Amino acid sequence: MKLLRTLVLGALGLVLPLSAHADTIKIGLMCPLTGGWASEGLDMKQIVGLLTDEVNKAGGINGKQLELIVEDDGGDPRTAALAAQKLAIAGVSAVIGTYGSAVTEAAQNILDESEILHIATGATSVRLTSKGMEYFFRTSPRDDEQGRVAAQYIKNLGYRKIAIVHDNSSYSKGLAEETRAVLEEEGVPVVFFDALTPKERDYSPILTKLRSAEPDLFFYPGYYPEAGLLLRQKKEMGWDVPMMGGDSVNNADLVQIAGLSSCEGFLFFSPPVPADLVTEKGKAFIAAYTKAYNSLPNSVWALLAGDAFNVLVEALRHTDGSSEAMAKYLKTELKDYTGITGTFSFSATGDRVGDLYQLYTVSPEGKFVVKR
Amino acid sequence: MRLSLTNKGTGAKAGAGLHLSPALRIPAVLLVVALIAALPRVMNLYWIDVFVSIGLGVMLSLSLNVILGQTGIFNMGHAAFYAVGAYVTAILNTRFGIPVLWLLPVAGACAALFALVVARPIIHLRGDYLLVVTIGIVEIVRIALTNDPGGLTGGANGIFGIARPEIFGMKIRKGIDFYYLIWGGVGVTALLFWQLHNSRFGRALSCIKEDDIAAEGCGIDVAHYKLMAFVLGAFWAGMTGTLFAAKMTIISPSSFTFWDSVLLFAAVILGGGSLTGVILGAFLVFGLPEIFRDFAQARMLVFGLALMIMMIIRPQGILPPAPRRYDVRAFLASLRSGRQKDAASNAMRTAPDAGPNVKSEGEGGAS
Repeated sequence: MKLLRTLVLGALGLVLPLSAHADTIKIGLMCPLTGGWASEGLDMKQIVGLLTDEVNKAGGINGKQLELIVEDDGGDPRTAALAAQKLAIAGVSAVIGTYGSAVTEAAQNILDESEILHIATGATSVRLTSKGMEYFFRTSPRDDEQGRVAAQYIKNLGYRKIAIVHDNSSYSKGLAEETRAVLEEEGVPVVFFDALTPKERDYSPILTKLRSAEPDLFFYPGYYPEAGLLLRQKKEMGWDVPMMGGDSVNNADLVQIAGLSSCEGFLFFSPPVPADLVTEKGKAFIAAYTKAYNSLPNSVWALLAGDAFNVLVEALRHTDGSSEAMAKYLKTELKDYTGITGTFSFSATGDRVGDLYQLYTVSPEGKFVVKR
Repeated sequence: MRLSLTNKGTGAKAGAGLHLSPALRIPAVLLVVALIAALPRVMNLYWIDVFVSIGLGVMLSLSLNVILGQTGIFNMGHAAFYAVGAYVTAILNTRFGIPVLWLLPVAGACAALFALVVARPIIHLRGDYLLVVTIGIVEIVRIALTNDPGGLTGGANGIFGIARPEIFGMKIRKGIDFYYLIWGGVGVTALLFWQLHNSRFGRALSCIKEDDIAAEGCGIDVAHYKLMAFVLGAFWAGMTGTLFAAKMTIISPSSFTFWDSVLLFAAVILGGGSLTGVILGAFLVFGLPEIFRDFAQARMLVFGLALMIMMIIRPQGILPPAPRRYDVRAFLASLRSGRQKDAASNAMRTAPDAGPNVKSEGEGGAS
């Protein structure tokens, strides 16, 4: 019993709020510092920390310094709910994060009830923004965004007869159907639409069927092992129709499987790796980050936290800092903001509008290069 | 379960679990209850949520204690049963709109059935071998949930929009409501498991834990009792899953990993196997990481270090269950003197099979 009481008293000691800084603006960051996604969380912490220092060195926002409060969400909804609750009572103006849709959702409810602006960074599930939450935003694309992006690329590259083959996985099928729907809406005919069985060795039967439909582009939204085999066998049968894939072919093994000569010119679209950022701000930030930490961020997802911070700073600069005013500003006044990962705005639901994806092609040396 | 609870032996009440004299026990329990009831007045919302989380951990640890602490079966896959309960609740609630609290027994039954099916073939395995299989079970469940079988579990993103529970028309919504719901649940759990510990069933489990060959020799159906311990623990974990789903309103496979099973295992081992010990163990295992939040990335390191130090200082756990004591002489004396006087009332009160049962234990205590 004594132990229990000591423990409770110890816990109560920590309940008492830390010293209050009236002249600072508090910003919360939730990220997975422990658990399976810890490297992602560490990047997020370093990126937002670096940006906070920059803003503070330049004089802060309207004369006030920023104070960043980082909480670990452990990559699991239970811990995330506690982290969100802790940030909510710490009196933060807004919360950035986190990585993973389910984890973000657990925090979302709590922050919404506390009416705190929440900008998610690595949460792609469609349902997060379909609940009509007033203060929720995200700088990551939605799961159904890729289909629209694929159709856009196909149309912009000028192809007119499209063949689509998927592998029946929910990711691949969903992307294929979404792309077909958008293409048909835009008046680009899809002349062939079918599925193949993954993990087979010989895809020449389906390639022969495909060939007879005479498409001018073959879109395969599947994974890299099958994509590699399709490229190789297409080349072997002497058919040189261009082929395109989605972000799940973004793996260096593709070149191994297909062979150098077969995959040259293969197109695919994917979120950029940090080294391939195109905006000025992005390049400058990567330079500053490399200088500070001697390494590159692991993926683009952590950089989305940086952009969440950037738009939050814009909102704080242009409003009185209340959640309501900031949400209104982000939805209606912030348009075509150029950040680290590209140019974007927010829709009325709080989704990112503006492409994150980039079109890549395989160079003759077998490297993935951004196609401009 | 009911059978074993109503069937508690008359002579076995003395000296198990809490190491306090019986006179102090009731005031101590009342003090703790009053403390728990009053705590939210001095806590902020965050600490209330932490205590809700700890409360769920306590319930789970107590349910694992039946399997691990009382029977000595090394089950490191307890999160699997918890997951089954939570997912059954989430699926039935979001698809058919069945109120969450009605699903408590359903979720418990599904988890128990799952435990029966998976534990039946492996129950004869001993120690580490069983442990490895249970690790396999929790991994299989997690991967199955992630793979979204039949579009039921929502894959890695899980299931969202689970309704808030309602009691007598009052919606449980705020952290403080959940605090009382879950700590009420902890109270019921502790009470029932205390009764279970002192029942014929509980004594059989203790016997199996000490020496299962001797238990077999005494006529205890070891495989059956082990299996029932598994089923009972899983049933309770499944019901805790319902409360978890209702609290979170969103569940995903990342809440039911091997790591969560390890935490529960640690809570029971750290506690030592007695009821009070396990409750304290759960407090440490689920509370310390929150207290160590300020260490950021290093908090799990600090947490692990704290556990290691505790295991070095008290390798038997914080509070191992006290040995069961039976006063054979007093029992025999009361039997002799009170035979005529108490015969009528005792015959009414004790169950038909409690008589020989009590006697055999008296003999066990004397040997």
